[in-house]
Amino acid sequence: MAVLAHPRVAHSRAYQLRKLRGSILFWAALALFIIFASFPVYWMFVTTFKEVNDLYNLQNNPLLFHLPPTLDQVRYLFERTNFATWVENTGEVGLAVVLITVVVCVPAAYVLARTSFPGSSTLGIGIFLTYLVPPTLLFLPLSQLVAGLGLVNSKWSLALVYPTFTIPFCTWLLMGFFKSVPREITEAARVDGCSRLGAMFRIVLPLSVPGVLTICIFAFTLAMQEYVYALTFVSSSDEKMITLGVVTDLIRGDVFFWGSLMAGALIVSIPVAIVYNLFMDTFVRGITGGALK
Amino acid sequence: MAEAAPARSFGINRTGARIGHLLDSERVFGYVLVAPAVAYIVLLVGYPFAIALWFTVSNSTVAHPISDFTGLRNLQGVLDDDIFRRALLNTFVFTLSSQALQMILGTLLAFLLLRPFRGRRIARALIMLPFTIPVAIGAMAWTWMLNPTYSVINWMGVHAGLFAQGPNWLGEEYPAMFSIILVNVWRNLPFTAIVLTAGISSVPQELIEAASLDGANWWVKWRKVMTPIIAPILYIALLFSLVFTFTDMTVVWLMTRGNPVGATHVIASYAFQTGVIAGSLGRGATMSLFLFPVLLVGAFVILRNLKARTLD
Repeated sequence: MAVLAHPRVAHSRAYQLRKLRGSILFWAALALFIIFASFPVYWMFVTTFKEVNDLYNLQNNPLLFHLPPTLDQVRYLFERTNFATWVENTGEVGLAVVLITVVVCVPAAYVLARTSFPGSSTLGIGIFLTYLVPPTLLFLPLSQLVAGLGLVNSKWSLALVYPTFTIPFCTWLLMGFFKSVPREITEAARVDGCSRLGAMFRIVLPLSVPGVLTICIFAFTLAMQEYVYALTFVSSSDEKMITLGVVTDLIRGDVFFWGSLMAGALIVSIPVAIVYNLFMDTFVRGITGGALK
Repeated sequence: MAEAAPARSFGINRTGARIGHLLDSERVFGYVLVAPAVAYIVLLVGYPFAIALWFTVSNSTVAHPISDFTGLRNLQGVLDDDIFRRALLNTFVFTLSSQALQMILGTLLAFLLLRPFRGRRIARALIMLPFTIPVAIGAMAWTWMLNPTYSVINWMGVHAGLFAQGPNWLGEEYPAMFSIILVNVWRNLPFTAIVLTAGISSVPQELIEAASLDGANWWVKWRKVMTPIIAPILYIALLFSLVFTFTDMTVVWLMTRGNPVGATHVIASYAFQTGVIAGSLGRGATMSLFLFPVLLVGAFVILRNLKARTLD
């Protein structure tokens, strides 16, 4: 950096030109990245609200509206498909997954974070590593297991299977929350005669409510957007969850109902995108096992 | 703590007191509370994995899941399958090229996002979009953008004078493979960029300034000062993204179904095609198992890394 060595150069024309060029390059690069990242979402948006005649007219500039925006495609989605049922299924299954996840994760994360017993750190890492096991390795045997339990083509098979990835993810995240509660508080309670269980329920859990709520949100959204298990286990339309329903049911034979498909896509994406944007750092911490602080 | 126990259990029946007392031992407390999580994982991950191993050495089908031992016949069948061999190659091409592009573009993007500028929050939210919407939805949006007749990308390309007609993106071998990689990069780029941003901003400013004073240019600063510091973080994030990309079938399945004529299958999508659609559990499971060595290596490295971290 010659600039630092010769401060007077900073005022020269050459320096200012270079600065200008740098800032033009910067904004151009940023704009390209933003367009690349968000254009598909803009495109979903345009497709959703276009008249069919406009959407499939090759003479028109596809980026703009040539007929006034319409809600026809959204209406089709709600009235002519099982969309409402998918939303309901997503709610039910999502809630079941959240319940199982919380009941299983809270105690596990608590002891893994706050006590040490033989094998505790290995167990913790073992639980975390199961998050790496992909659906594509297990969908065949799990489909047989699901069949054995009489859950073929039932949304409840998903409620049973989804905790296999929400548990590792959420346990690891919760451990972080539990670790941040100072040890002195529980030690004081223990001296005062509080049991270990009592210390957990009465002292640490109330302080970790935000953490528990965060894992509820993650468990729900992870379940909501899953695709591979859903595709494997559920085939009839009225048992589908929202993501699978949108990407499979709006294709009839060779005909794609693109307008309604993108309407559904938009409706699924908006809440998930908002949640993940708000909790981005936590989410990344969850994925990387706290490798990022 | 033993003195406290009788006072606390006063008024509760004796069995309750004994359980309470037992739970107060750190070891018992630990095992009891972690047991449900371990049980869930053993029953729904460990046990199915064992079944998968059995499938690979048997002639199970969806119609006849109870089956005979057939040794390595599945393995041989799979290795003789041209489409599978192509899928194996595709999986590596797909994973490695996605990762390489992600790393290059991600580093660039991370440096852009680290600069303070007006509207950074909005820019960041827009750039994160691909990572925040469900994979299946993103893949569908791209499928529509690359539609053979109504492709908006081709429309823009034609009107910008890039080509006269535009390729049939998902219908021809190389454009299809390119599209799949593109969508995967689109999807994972924000993650790489975030990890890199966090890593780079954790590098002490003094170190960079010291290097500047010593006359280091940006490349030297990046290679010799920043990279060594962010390497451990980057390493683990990369491994995760590698494992997830290597084992994913969503993008391929939604965009091409492995077509044209099986040219774009990856291991995962072809295992799905064989095991679920065609119902050949043995063959399908054998294919899936090809994903396992990579997983194992990934898990091993991550494990070592995490262990080192917990020991700190």
